Amino acid sequence: MVPNDSLVASAESRFRRFDADSSVTRPVWIMSLQKNRRAWCAGGLLMLLTGIALVGPLLAPHNPLLPAGGPFMSPGHGGFLLGSDSIGRDELSRVLFGVRTSWFSALGVIASGVVVGATIGLVAGASGGRIDEVLMRLTDAFLALPGPVLAIAVVAALGPSLTHTLVAVSVVWWPFYARIVRGEVRALAARPHLEAARLAGATRLALMARHLLPGAVPAIVVTASLDVGNLILTLSGLSFLGLGAPAPAPELGAMAARNLPYLLQSWWVSVMPALAIFILAFASNTAGDLLRDSFRDT
Amino acid sequence: MSPLAFAARRVSAAIVIVLILVAAMFTLQHLSRTDPAHAYLGAGASTTAVAAERVKLGLNQPVVTQFFHYVANLAQGNLGVSYRTRNPVATDIGEYLPATVELAFYALVMALAAGTLLGVASAGKWRGARVLKFVMVSGASAPLFLLALLGILVFYGHLGILPATGRTSSVNPPTGPTGFLTIDAVLAGRFGVLLNALRHLVMPALSLAIGPAVSIGRVLRGSLMTVLREDYVRTARAKGLRERRVLLSHALRNSVGPALSMTGLQFGLLLAGDVVVEQVFAWPGIGYYAAQSIPVGDFPAIGGVTLVLGVGYVAINALVDIFQRIADPRIKL
Amino acid sequence: MTGMQGSIGLADGPGPVGQVGPVASVEDLRVTFRRGGRNVHALRGVTLHIAPGEIVGLVGESGSGKSVLGLSLLGLHPKASTKIEGTVMVCGQELTSGSAEEWRLVRRRYLGAVFQDPMTSLNPTMRIGRQVAEVAGNTDEAVRLLNAVGIADASARLSSFPHELSGGLRQRVMLAMAIAGTPRLVIADEPTTALDVTVQAQILRLLRRLRDDLGMAMLFVTHDLGVASQVADRIAVLYGGRLMEVGESADILERAVHPYSNGLLRSRLTLLSGRDRPVVSLAGEPPDPTNPPEGCPFCARCAFVEDLCRQSIPEPVEIRRHHQVACARAGSLTEITDEALAPWPQRADPTGLAVLVHAVTKTFSVGRGRRRRPLHSLRGVDLEIAPGEVVALVGESGSGKSTLLRAIAGLLRVDSGSVEFGVPGDPQMVFQDAGASLTPWLAVGALIAERFGSSGLSRAERGQRVEHALASVGLPPEVRSAKPRQLSGGQRQRVALARAIAVVPPLLLCDEPTSALDVSLAATILNLIGQLRRELSMAVLFVTHDLAVARIVADRVAVMYLGRIVEIGPVDSVVGDPKHPYTAALLASVPDPGVELKAVMGEPASPLDIPIGCGFASRCASADELCHRSDPQLDALSESSDGPIRSIRRVACFHPVRSDEALGGGGG
Repeated sequence: MVPNDSLVASAESRFRRFDADSSVTRPVWIMSLQKNRRAWCAGGLLMLLTGIALVGPLLAPHNPLLPAGGPFMSPGHGGFLLGSDSIGRDELSRVLFGVRTSWFSALGVIASGVVVGATIGLVAGASGGRIDEVLMRLTDAFLALPGPVLAIAVVAALGPSLTHTLVAVSVVWWPFYARIVRGEVRALAARPHLEAARLAGATRLALMARHLLPGAVPAIVVTASLDVGNLILTLSGLSFLGLGAPAPAPELGAMAARNLPYLLQSWWVSVMPALAIFILAFASNTAGDLLRDSFRDT
Repeated sequence: MSPLAFAARRVSAAIVIVLILVAAMFTLQHLSRTDPAHAYLGAGASTTAVAAERVKLGLNQPVVTQFFHYVANLAQGNLGVSYRTRNPVATDIGEYLPATVELAFYALVMALAAGTLLGVASAGKWRGARVLKFVMVSGASAPLFLLALLGILVFYGHLGILPATGRTSSVNPPTGPTGFLTIDAVLAGRFGVLLNALRHLVMPALSLAIGPAVSIGRVLRGSLMTVLREDYVRTARAKGLRERRVLLSHALRNSVGPALSMTGLQFGLLLAGDVVVEQVFAWPGIGYYAAQSIPVGDFPAIGGVTLVLGVGYVAINALVDIFQRIADPRIKL
Repeated sequence: MTGMQGSIGLADGPGPVGQVGPVASVEDLRVTFRRGGRNVHALRGVTLHIAPGEIVGLVGESGSGKSVLGLSLLGLHPKASTKIEGTVMVCGQELTSGSAEEWRLVRRRYLGAVFQDPMTSLNPTMRIGRQVAEVAGNTDEAVRLLNAVGIADASARLSSFPHELSGGLRQRVMLAMAIAGTPRLVIADEPTTALDVTVQAQILRLLRRLRDDLGMAMLFVTHDLGVASQVADRIAVLYGGRLMEVGESADILERAVHPYSNGLLRSRLTLLSGRDRPVVSLAGEPPDPTNPPEGCPFCARCAFVEDLCRQSIPEPVEIRRHHQVACARAGSLTEITDEALAPWPQRADPTGLAVLVHAVTKTFSVGRGRRRRPLHSLRGVDLEIAPGEVVALVGESGSGKSTLLRAIAGLLRVDSGSVEFGVPGDPQMVFQDAGASLTPWLAVGALIAERFGSSGLSRAERGQRVEHALASVGLPPEVRSAKPRQLSGGQRQRVALARAIAVVPPLLLCDEPTSALDVSLAATILNLIGQLRRELSMAVLFVTHDLAVARIVADRVAVMYLGRIVEIGPVDSVVGDPKHPYTAALLASVPDPGVELKAVMGEPASPLDIPIGCGFASRCASADELCHRSDPQLDALSESSDGPIRSIRRVACFHPVRSDEALGGGGG
């Protein structure tokens, strides 16, 4: 091939050029993290949200399931920071508990999606041939079905409950990750570095674990972090339709739905939980964007 | 492969997917916690009556036989009988479907238009691009019902300029021939009804469209920015073509592919969101029908709606793929 | 264009049109990009004039700024991130601060452009007829232009998409668009670099012919002095964003004065370079464009450097008519003689067997469904290599040379035939793109240590052996902890070599290891391979598309065409006296300065569509009915069949080229 005269490329490679008498001994990841404030911000944001989800309920001023005062108190009145609902329960306490459920449900589904999807994607991508074909046909069949609609049907059949919702959504969620990981792995496997490693004597396991998987990690991390927001929204939608935990449980989507009849009189009872969902999703989407940009730069 | 052969292959693939969907629905029906015999006869039915009903429904037969019955019934348009309304599900859906199709159509058109605008506008380097990016992240993060609730609070509750529920407030809206109120109103020459119907459509369609619009916009932005760095765009500029021509006939055409795929995928989310939106706005479509069926565990109704929405989704995605193949001759199935 | 002190260029140039003002010129042009928070100083004061009708060859290595200069004349820099100072004039218009619309009209009326990769430079979803008509105005004109660039059935091609055309045809389409409306100046940025050598020769001839017919001027940007020498009236040598030397082509090629252009010329491999000793190479690497040196850009690598060079940038001086040099010592440097490199030590002739390839075939299956077709990549290849022997495998795209390499490496299974090794151990391979052949997230030390496997070495021993391997390719031990992307291109290729020889392999497979490197770096890597194979007595199979490179590295050369070896023999005798018309055609296509190119017609045949007879018959001038009917076998030439086995010439041709037809006798 050709000496490419792209100045950008040469400038970049020169910028990274190894310099025998400078401090190359410093590990690369430290340098890249220092360079990468965005990744730190994103990680911090995600940790912060997890912290709020963990600690929030401990700070709840009232029991989320029991009335603590008069009904329909507007925000800031009767000792209710976010108001009270139709039977006088503290909206803030219920939202804090709801945030915990939403956040960890989303993380749980993502985790299962990543584990199942990444395993299938890695196996398919690394093996190629018939195994790849069979696994990807399966994945494609799942992807060709309207996942969220199917999830409604699954939960409706199994009966509304948080567990059923999580199972249903997990079942339709993994194929996305399988596709992405498989794509990454195929792209990496086409690079000569894999053949070079094979010739250098790397075992099959070493090829997968050392020479393939680490390359797919950035894509998995970015996709997963961008996906948290989607999941929070999808789960809240199912909860809104009454497919989540049954009545008294403080679930954000269900809270918004059950107080719909009082919307025009006491807007906060429905809007506060919906706003909480929005904030969760917005923060995790921002973190995902930051992560994606930081990986794109390096 | 010729475009026609591609279309044939794509359609047969879609049929296979629909068959998988049918099998999934049958399995779910079996997993369903409600015994149909009980459901039809009511809680007070005697054991013998239930047993007789089970025989009548064919529930005592082997699963495989039941599956073939299920498929055969489907082929004849028989989706079973709703536990709740006691009507054939097909009849119910037939009644509610036009409202949903109309809503989904307007939402999709809005999503496409807004998505294209957002994508093109945010790909450029101008002052508003940052603001747009913020708007887009917000749009992608807002639950559909938040948009719907805020819409109702502001435009119905506060300003009182848009209606909050239903398809129309006309006393005797036209009922035929298409079932799509906006078209029927035009056909009947009743423009007052048309305006009324459009006003009812605005909020539901808009809250449904915003999420997909942002997704489409983001994907279009990404692919447009990639394409604008391509060598052939440089070639087009080197030819001395006008920038608008470079953008439209070289850049945009090559970047719609990913956005189109995204539109297909987003259609699935739009359909799921449809159930929520119809519930909020009491829109008399199949989503509302399904939402009403959920609390009472009316699986035949929910399964029927799922099948209809699923077929719609598979069909739209097949169309998207065929359209893409026409746009880009390099695509292989 | 007098006035400006030390300006390089010719107002009264020798171009065919003569005493007219320049068609385009830049004066003291400085272009700076903002990239990743740093300023990239791409051009740092360049003055160049292009006379009407002349072809200026702009020669430079990667990062020299040569493409930037081309884009500056087209006004195609992104406005937001680029700072342009100085003057840019095109066809009498001052355009330095020209608006987008002014530039567009100038491009439309006066300029044409051809870029390096015709595949990515053509819109993949638009039929080529429309792409040409878009600039030609109408379809009839498009057909006329396509005919003018030598596309035979132009009107039938109009409805093709770019991916349906061969590389050569695509570049012809690009050319057709560039000459639409008869521009005054065509910017050609590495227009032949992505093409096969025989096709490159055709395109170079076509470029000259178009210039003669249409009278347009051309800025021909290239990294290869040889290519420039074939088309250019004048040559300008660019380095570190500055012009080093400008002059008439012949003058530059014969009497280059600047130490850089001189070094470039001497490290360029030709069919006449001496092969008994290492190649002349320029030590060091080009300056960092984000932090350019204060003095002469070349001073860090210059053998004649003195204090003055480090203090200020030398301005160009006219040392003879039409020949300017930017060197503080230009006056005293008129003659540079080669510092004598010690010849390689003499060795005994190789004996024994490192690898024996017997009747290997490999067919891939491409396409899907009913369009599934066999791609015959290898069609029966025999080859043997002795320990310590280097065999070069030469061929164009589709010849199967890389497939053969991968088959020998065991990276793919052959359909039939066998590969046997005479020496224990696994073969190792060095890839064209060294960067891509090293796992990006692993440190160099870990990559090399992988070769030791589970050999029970202690940590310290492994470390020692890694350092030893690095030392043997001339890298310091600290490189051990670096990641591949922190290294330069040349360093990466050294690491790849260190990894390959960390445990000495019986056979080293090299897949165009120098073709992605700049001339000066390529020379050092070739020398390194030459040194290692002698020290370690390794057999080497070296794949290249460049016969000049093959001649330098190899003892024997095998020429492949369409999945077969068509000629094999000792490198001197094959290069000096080619017997197969294809070998002769390849040799005639090597763009060496001072040698007239003879382009063979057509493009390499497709391995998807194997002809019945000789694969080369359709392009061969001496092919007759027999050649089209039956397939010649690789047979020993009678005159050499009685020598030692490794000196035997074999050729697969019914009508071998006669010795008196001399070099470049094949083709038309």
